[in-house]
Amino acid sequence: MVGINGTIDLEAALVRCGEGDRKALRLLYDHEAGRMIAVAQRMLKRRALAEEAVHDSFISIWNTASRYDPARGAARSWMYTILRNRTLNILRGEARSELTADFDAFEQESLEDTPEEIISKLSEANALRRCLERLDASRRRLVLMAYAHGLSHGELAARLDVPLGTVKSWLRRSLLSLRECLQ
Amino acid sequence: MNDDFDLLASEYVIGLLDGDDLARARALEASNREFQASVAFWRRRFEAIDETATPIDPAPDLWTRIEAATAAATPAKAADAARQKSVGIWSNLGFWRGAGLVGAVASLALALFAASLWNARLSTPTLVAVLVTDQNVPAAVVNAFADGTVELVPLSSIAVPDGKALEVWTLPSRERGPVSVALLDRARAVRLDLKDLPRPGSGQLFEITLEARNGSPIGRPTGPILMKGLTLQAL
Repeated sequence: MVGINGTIDLEAALVRCGEGDRKALRLLYDHEAGRMIAVAQRMLKRRALAEEAVHDSFISIWNTASRYDPARGAARSWMYTILRNRTLNILRGEARSELTADFDAFEQESLEDTPEEIISKLSEANALRRCLERLDASRRRLVLMAYAHGLSHGELAARLDVPLGTVKSWLRRSLLSLRECLQ
Repeated sequence: MNDDFDLLASEYVIGLLDGDDLARARALEASNREFQASVAFWRRRFEAIDETATPIDPAPDLWTRIEAATAAATPAKAADAARQKSVGIWSNLGFWRGAGLVGAVASLALALFAASLWNARLSTPTLVAVLVTDQNVPAAVVNAFADGTVELVPLSSIAVPDGKALEVWTLPSRERGPVSVALLDRARAVRLDLKDLPRPGSGQLFEITLEARNGSPIGRPTGPILMKGLTLQAL
């Protein structure tokens, strides 16, 4: 599953997982778990919750890998879709009340992942970066706080102290112009 | 490109949907090619943001826990193979020739059994919910009947680790919160216990989570959601 240029073939590993190959699951874990924890932690803030999301995601990956079809998309994309779904479920469901209570305290810990920092880590040539930079700074922040930090419309409205309807229409307009720019 | 569709797809990928909109997006993702293409478009673009996250070393026991949980589970392909085997017998002509007489008796018995079920129920379901996995694969159906009975019919086997169980939940209302309606050791058809609840309505959420063997200790879902879906009115 190591390609000729030394890169890991995640697609082959995921297919092998579907055939019950535990070593392939370990390979995916070694390769992606660290970043998956970081992605979940951006949203869940707490490390322990982020690890739970990754734990649950790998079990789900193992259980559903036989349905993965390499022709329909990259393995990484498939894995992160599972992770983001699981993380949003935790965020919007089970841990909700605890999270909002703790939110401000934990915010300090994730300074390096502010929207500005995320933008600056995208490569200059990245189409999404180019298109995000065409938006007003405040609109750009909204899109990034929604995607990377998992904030809901309601939370964004509270954070920015604007009505819910306003946040919704700002986001919609931003997404429409992103679409136009990305096409 | 249909703008409304694409907007819904973008809000879905970014994680902004909830309630009915989320259910609608999930249903479209399972069934509509144009919507799938839109979702894929947005996912590909936004993945770049996930890639900017600086990896964090997992706690040493994380892999151990994943390994233990997956070791107990039936690998998915093995379960598929078992299912194929049972399908195999249906296409084995020799088997069926020999079994012809037995089959005739059995089919009479089955017809009588089906008739008795039909009488017991006297109707088709009034509400149906298709529960789908996070990969949008239909995995079970919930049928609610006019006489108040509600049943769960699994469509695929589910790996249940040792010491764990499947717990079925419904959300009669937001105020009341999720209510447990069945606890199963494995995926099997079962009647759900909704007698202390109002008659299910259209758009009511049903879901199955993985919980400890005796069910969630706090009476609310705590484990991963294996599948979920909303009821729809049957024609």
